[in-house]
Amino acid sequence: MSSPGIVSSFSLLDLAIAVASLVATLWIGLRVKRYIGTIEDYLVASRGMGLYVGAASLLSTEVGIITYMYQAQFGFVAGFSAFVTGLITLAVCLFVGRTGFVITRLREMEILTVPEYFERRYGRGVRVLAGVLMAFGGSLNLGIFPIIEARFLAIVTGIPSQYLGWTMAALLLIALVYTALGGMVSLIVTNYLQYVFLAAGTVIVTLVCLREVGWGGMVSAVEGHMDGHGFNPIEDLGVGFILWQVLLWIALMTVWQSVAMRTFSTKDAAVGKKMFTLTGYLFLGRALIPMAWGIAALAFFWGKSAPVVAPSAPTRSAQIEELDKDLGATFRRDLDEGRLERALPQLELLERLAREEKLQDPEAARFEDSARERRGELGLLAMPWMLAATLPTGLLGLVVAGMLAASISTYAGYFLGWSSIIAQDIVAPLAKKELSSEGRLRLTRVTVVGLTVFIMIWSLVYDLPGPAYFYLQVTANLFMAPTLIAVVGGLYWRRASATGAALAFLLGAITSLAYLAPQLKLDVATAGNLSWALAVTGFALGSLLFPQRARS
Amino acid sequence: MSWAPFWLLAFVVAFAGFTLISLVIAVRGVAEIRELFTALKEERRRKQP
Repeated sequence: MSSPGIVSSFSLLDLAIAVASLVATLWIGLRVKRYIGTIEDYLVASRGMGLYVGAASLLSTEVGIITYMYQAQFGFVAGFSAFVTGLITLAVCLFVGRTGFVITRLREMEILTVPEYFERRYGRGVRVLAGVLMAFGGSLNLGIFPIIEARFLAIVTGIPSQYLGWTMAALLLIALVYTALGGMVSLIVTNYLQYVFLAAGTVIVTLVCLREVGWGGMVSAVEGHMDGHGFNPIEDLGVGFILWQVLLWIALMTVWQSVAMRTFSTKDAAVGKKMFTLTGYLFLGRALIPMAWGIAALAFFWGKSAPVVAPSAPTRSAQIEELDKDLGATFRRDLDEGRLERALPQLELLERLAREEKLQDPEAARFEDSARERRGELGLLAMPWMLAATLPTGLLGLVVAGMLAASISTYAGYFLGWSSIIAQDIVAPLAKKELSSEGRLRLTRVTVVGLTVFIMIWSLVYDLPGPAYFYLQVTANLFMAPTLIAVVGGLYWRRASATGAALAFLLGAITSLAYLAPQLKLDVATAGNLSWALAVTGFALGSLLFPQRARS
Repeated sequence: MSWAPFWLLAFVVAFAGFTLISLVIAVRGVAEIRELFTALKEERRRKQP
C-alpha cells in the first residue's frame, strides 16, 4: 500500500502574511514614481545608490525562488561538492571588490548599459550585435523562471494547479507595474524591503532544516547514497567545470546587465568596489545555504524511506526492465504528491543495476541515464516538498512572503536589465532619428511589457534539456564569454578591434546554442569552456587580422 | 583528507556571514534610502526651469 502524500499546512493566516507583504511592496514601489524625471533617474537612479541598499538590491535581484530551487537541486544531486561554486563566487567578488577589475573603468565612463561601452570602443554595429545576443540569451534565461517557481508555490502553498497560471501572472504583473513606472528608484526601495523578507525566510528555512535532519544527518545521507561521491568537487565535477565556473562568475560579476546596472547606480567607483566585497559573503550564502537545503531534503526523504528489493525476474536485464516499468507507473504521481521516499530507493536500485549491467550490455546505459534524469527532476522538487512537510502555519506564511519577495525583485531587476538593453542598444541605435530622454523612457517601459508577455509564453512551451542550474548558466554563457572578453580586451588591449569583438560574439554564442538543442547531447562543461575558447580565438584573430581603424 | 569538516566550516561562514550582513543592511539601509530621496528631490529642483 502506498503512503499518503504530503499536504501543506498553508492556512488563511499564511495567505494573509504573504498578501500583506506583496501589497506593501507594490504600494512602496508605486509611491516613488514621482522621483522619476529622466532616463538616468529611471535606469540608474541618478547614480545615487549607497553601499547597503546597493548590496540589498544586488542580492535580491540575483536571488529568486528559482535560485533557491536550482541551488537546492544542485546540492541534492552533487552533495557537498556543489559548494565549490559558492567558494568560487566569494573569491571572484573579493577579487573584483579589491581590484575594481572592469567595474571601476565602466563606472567612471558613466554609461547606462554594457553594450553602450561597445559603441564607444568598437562602433555601433558591435553595440547592436551584443545587444541582440544579450537580449536573446537574457530572455531565454528569464523564460523558465515562472514555470519552475510556480511548481514551488504549488507545493508549498497547496494552491490547486488550475490557479497556478493566474498566480504567476499576478506576480509578474506586480513586478511589471512598479518596474515600468518607477524604474531603478522603485527597484532600490522595494529591493530593500524584499531583502529583509527574503533574508528572514532564508534564516528560518535553514534553522528548520538543521532541526529536522541536523548536519550529521546530511553528511550521512551523502556518504550513504551518493556511491562514494558528494565531497570531492575535483573528482565529482571535474577541473573543466570548475575552470568554466571561475570564468563565468568573473563575467557575471562584472558585465551581467542586472549586476552591472547596480555598479552604474552607485554613488562612485569606490562604493561599487565596497559593494562587491560586502556582497561576496552574501553570494557565498546564496549558494551554500540553499544547496544545504537540497542535501537536507535528501537526508529527510531517505530517513523516511524503506528498503526496496529487486523485482524477481530471471536475468538482471529483465529486472532492470521490470523496475523501470514500475517506476514509470508511479514516479510522476509520487513526485506530484510528495512521496519522494518511495521513488528515491527505486531510482538508486535502478541506477546500480543498470551500471553493473552496462559492463556486459552497453544498452543498459540508457536506464542509468533515465534514472539520473529522474533523480535530477526529483532533486528540483525535494526541497519544496520538505518545506511543505515540515513548516508549521505562520512560519510557512513568513517563508512564502520571503520567497515571493525574492522572486518579484528578481523579475523586476531582470525586466529592467533586459528591457534597457532592448530599448537602449537595439531599438534606439537603429532608429532613424535620435530619441529624446522621454522617448527612451517610454520605449523602455513598453519593452518591459513586451518582455513579460514573452517569458509567460516561453515558460509554457519550452522543455528543459537537463538540470535547471545548467540551463540557466548556459543561456547566460551565450553572451557572457564574448561580453567579458570584448570588454576586457577593449579596456586593456590597444589592438582590440570591432571585427575581433564581432567574431567573439558570434563564435561564443554557437556552442551555448548547441547545448540548448538536446539532440546534440553536448556536455555542459564542454559547451561552456568551448564557448570561452572560441570567443577568445575569434577576438584575438579578428583583432590581429583586422586592426581597428582610427576613429574620429 | 576528509572534506566533511571543510564543508562544515564553509557552511558556518556562509550562514553566519549572511545573517550578520543582512542585519547590518536592515539597520543601515533606511538612512541610505532617505539620502537617495533627498538627492533625487534636489536633482529635480535643480533641473526645473
